[in-house]
Amino acid sequence: MSGIKALGIDVGSTTVKIVGVDTEGKMCWHILEQAEPRVEDQVERFLDHTRQVVGTLDRIPLVATGYGRGLVEQATRSVTEITCHAKGVYREFGHGGTLVDIGGQDSKVIGISPEGKVLDFVMNDKCAAGTGRFLENTASRLKVPLDRMGDEALSVVEEVPISSTCTVFAESEVISLIAHGVPVASILRGLHRSLIKRTVAMIRTVGIVPPLMLSGGVVLNPAICRLLEEETGEKVVLPRYPQLMGAHGAALFALEILNDGSQVS
Amino acid sequence: MEVISVIPRRLDVINKYKEQGGYVAAVLPIHYPRALLRAFNVLPVEVWGPPRVDTSHGATHLQPYICSIVHNTLSFLQMGGLDITDVIIIPHACDSLQGLGSVLLDFVPPDKPIVPIYLPRGRRESDIVFLTREFYAIYQRLEAITGRAPSDADLMKSIRREEGADEVLIKLHQSHSCLPLTDIAFYRLIRSREYLPAETFIELAQAVLAKDIKKPRDGIPILLSGIVPEPMSLLEAISEMGAMVVADDLACCGRRLYPPGRSGDPLRRMAERIIYAPPDPTRGNPIRERREHLLRLIENSGAKGVVFYDVKFCEPELFDLPTLRCELQKAKVPSVTVEVDINDPLSHQTLTRIEAFLEILNERR
Ligand code: SF4
Repeated sequence: MSGIKALGIDVGSTTVKIVGVDTEGKMCWHILEQAEPRVEDQVERFLDHTRQVVGTLDRIPLVATGYGRGLVEQATRSVTEITCHAKGVYREFGHGGTLVDIGGQDSKVIGISPEGKVLDFVMNDKCAAGTGRFLENTASRLKVPLDRMGDEALSVVEEVPISSTCTVFAESEVISLIAHGVPVASILRGLHRSLIKRTVAMIRTVGIVPPLMLSGGVVLNPAICRLLEEETGEKVVLPRYPQLMGAHGAALFALEILNDGSQVS
Repeated sequence: MEVISVIPRRLDVINKYKEQGGYVAAVLPIHYPRALLRAFNVLPVEVWGPPRVDTSHGATHLQPYICSIVHNTLSFLQMGGLDITDVIIIPHACDSLQGLGSVLLDFVPPDKPIVPIYLPRGRRESDIVFLTREFYAIYQRLEAITGRAPSDADLMKSIRREEGADEVLIKLHQSHSCLPLTDIAFYRLIRSREYLPAETFIELAQAVLAKDIKKPRDGIPILLSGIVPEPMSLLEAISEMGAMVVADDLACCGRRLYPPGRSGDPLRRMAERIIYAPPDPTRGNPIRERREHLLRLIENSGAKGVVFYDVKFCEPELFDLPTLRCELQKAKVPSVTVEVDINDPLSHQTLTRIEAFLEILNERR
């Protein structure tokens, strides 16, 4: 595909994404894969693949972001995931607001100005309880496929409060609830509520500036969006590619480098 | 300038002082009367943890939500780290330190005296009177421990020496961004005040101040607030990210730039010095004062934003933070909070937060 003018790669802890943009900054190509233990090899493979698509990478700048951004030696520059997510989301919506990104192993809330600049942010990356991993772990205990969890949770009104603040303890609590015959869907709804309450605490730290925008892999789960709206009383808007916002933002920075004519090998 | 290589090592300083017939006090954070101790020939050596010790010893007596400085201090003591000292001074800076004082007095008493210092919370006349009396009680304890009874003239001499050291400390802070020192070298020098005798510190500091002032360093200027810059490699990481610390509101540094006292009464003068030091949540100074102080530092130093680098579970700091950050935001000063455990190495998460914050500042330049 000859339209690719700049690339952004987001090396997250759960997935790795690469996005190509055209001269206008429009996302025109991407790959998304589960993260592999040897990030460098995976990145090299991504770039080989990209080379096959565009012919040569010689004049195509690459900006790296995400947890493993420092491992992308081929990058022209690295930018944090906070700045890249804000950039990607602003490009998609064209307005500011509060971005909530719930990833597999971390979550972040970013306040974005009407001009698309980061105003403030907060990250949770120390505890799995506020991340997608919280749902993943307990889903496997409940033997519910990950992509069915949200629908299952929304299929009931009754929910069981989950009191444990820790993912590991929540798992034990879930086992005990099942043993007491509590319906799985009610447990699932309680688990989602627990994750959302933690997220809302982060949102309040930054301060809600509407609209709420949601990104990250967990967004594919419909219960997350619904419960977040319930808890905050705010409408939540979703980007078209919720998992690619960081990589898209990185690609937009790469495009700026290209347009500035600086440092492109 | 290789200032780090000429700073005497803590253990060497302690041994030398003892060889010359002096006593050594282990002093916990944050405020205490240095001059009073030195008048009794007691060298104060501060204990901010220390970082990276096996905390399993202290964990037996302390709850997990107590900060790592207190956890480490108790563990370090139980592992024999304070054996070399003759007395332990515990200022009641916070509930956690007060709790540690109780643990040491009632449950795991060490084989040396424990001297608590009760600090008043405010700047009223009654606070000065209270602290003066408190210092008199400490005078009596030190008299019993050392068998000495320094006169008012001895106390004044000791005060003048400490005031001299604090004067050069203030000069160092004021000239920070023009000194030929990296941030890490600067803070190694500043923090040597935690254990060097005032006269040795003055010599070192004056040698640095006498060097040609270079043109101001390059980088995004930031103000560092919080308790203690540990691990110190944080400062190198900040430089590598293209920023520089131009001012600080750290409990171990900038909050201890004590002004000279006014009174002719030595104990009262020592009290005045602490009471009128820059605002500090552990001395109960209101957020309004802290806000004004930070804004003044920002204006004088040209800092573009504030990094609050706090120790996890530090109540006095963390209680103030939401309001303080909100106040700064109203004054259009961006800030970020990072919480650390002083045992942890500098983490990727910590660096990402700081780097993202610097990206915000860079955008605004
Ligand atoms: S870090 Fe905070 S809680 Fe811990 S000793 Fe210092 S003031 Fe007290």
